[in-house]
Amino acid sequence: MNKLAYRLRIYRSVVGMNIKEMLAYNLWFWSQLGAHLFLTIVYVSFWKALYSERETIAGLTMQQTLTYIILARMIAPLVQWGYTQEFGYWIREGTISSELLRPVDFQERIFIGHLTRTFVALAQQLLVTGSFAVLVFDIRLPTDPLIWLSFLISLLLGCSILFCFDWIFGCVAFYSTEVWGLQVVRGSILMLFSGVLLPLTMLPSGLQTLAQWMPFAQSVSIPVSLLSGITPLDQLGSIWLQQLAWLAVMLMLSRLMFNFSVRKITVQGG
Amino acid sequence: MLRYSKIYWYFVVQRFKILMEYRLNFFIGSISTVLFQGASIIAMWAVLRQVPSIQGWTLEQILLIYGLLTLSKGINHLFADNLWVIGRDYIRPGQFDRFLVRPINPLFHLLADRICHDAIGDFIVGFGLVGYAMVKLQLPITLASISFIILMVISGGIIFIALNLITAATAFWIMDSIPVTNLVFSTNEFAQYPLTFYHRSVGILLTWLLPYGFASYYPASYLLGHSIGWMAWLAPLIALVSITIAYRFWVFGLKHYGSTGS
Repeated sequence: MNKLAYRLRIYRSVVGMNIKEMLAYNLWFWSQLGAHLFLTIVYVSFWKALYSERETIAGLTMQQTLTYIILARMIAPLVQWGYTQEFGYWIREGTISSELLRPVDFQERIFIGHLTRTFVALAQQLLVTGSFAVLVFDIRLPTDPLIWLSFLISLLLGCSILFCFDWIFGCVAFYSTEVWGLQVVRGSILMLFSGVLLPLTMLPSGLQTLAQWMPFAQSVSIPVSLLSGITPLDQLGSIWLQQLAWLAVMLMLSRLMFNFSVRKITVQGG
Repeated sequence: MLRYSKIYWYFVVQRFKILMEYRLNFFIGSISTVLFQGASIIAMWAVLRQVPSIQGWTLEQILLIYGLLTLSKGINHLFADNLWVIGRDYIRPGQFDRFLVRPINPLFHLLADRICHDAIGDFIVGFGLVGYAMVKLQLPITLASISFIILMVISGGIIFIALNLITAATAFWIMDSIPVTNLVFSTNEFAQYPLTFYHRSVGILLTWLLPYGFASYYPASYLLGHSIGWMAWLAPLIALVSITIAYRFWVFGLKHYGSTGS
């Protein structure tokens, strides 16, 4: 009898433990969603207050700006941090040596992995926070599948450009072995110049020029402007050409940089 | 009390020794907040430079609110950052039990265990913004106004700590409290703008339920000479009430705590 009670007590704690674990993940999901909702209310209210006394700002109506901002904030978590952290980790741990020895091109492999993660995250974001935004905030997403397609292609190009940029960035880790600080700098520059915080046309012209010469806008401002209808579809040709040119240059630079700096690796303790 | 201050000082010295081993990280940690907030502030400036004001609020006035909130947040960040990770870093791995067998208050031990120097960035941004706004708006910088600001910032900091303490105490039941803390803490974002920008319910929420408004909007309104009456002086009382409730809840949770058994 005692044995039975003992077993039951163990089972009970196992059940309790499992419930707690499940709850922890679920809680995290709801917490993130809730925090995202609060933040969205904050900036939607800010822009609404801003537009309450005027029709347009920098040529954009309230509907356009709100749709743009909500979408840009949805894309932001996908590009905000990059993967440079992993670079630093491989080098610090010395696993970079075995990464390099694998019979598949190192950069290609990381690229595919990174892109997969980005687009799965995008699907999640659009499904959860996207449907949420449509329900709660009255934003108008386009129904034309062509717009969606051009958005996705533009985002794919933008993320590839950013990938190559981050690759160059990550190569710095071969020299510094410390990437956290660089990451912080990159993250804050990206927030401003990618167009997450505001449509880039609202920046003063000097900063706008600066933003054009940085790769960050390619992954947020340009695709999101397409999806929110700020950029008309007839400019698609020139946009894609521009993005392809960016990609070609960045890809070349990233290959060069990698081949050059890979010789610098000192595998720590390896 | 004297004993606790001595012990606290000892913890601070130890923490500082650790930090000095990694000087670069120390430096980066301190400026990371400056960089991130810098991006938002530049964005706000870029938008507001095209318009004279938003519903009567100018850029400098909004920056005053933002600066006061950042200072209060800095106090919480400096002294009570460990409340965030009580579940993940202490309760789950069984580390919390260490505190229970020592002859000092477990909450004190938890807080003193990690003083978060990244808060320096909050103070730089906060002082910078409040100073800039006060000068630009030609508000009187007197002993009275400075004492008022210090009183309000400390009260605001205590309000931040109290809310984080309540949410951290849920870890005694659900083990990992970060999601709960994250959700409640995220509402402080509302308080970076005048509460009049929002639906009325948000104003009530940020005043009476999650009183972050007392860390920014109310003291700023008073400094700007808006007539908000006794609300301007309510912050210390609210801080006292919330920290008392929070501590009671913490003690209640602690009694309920039954370790993870690892």
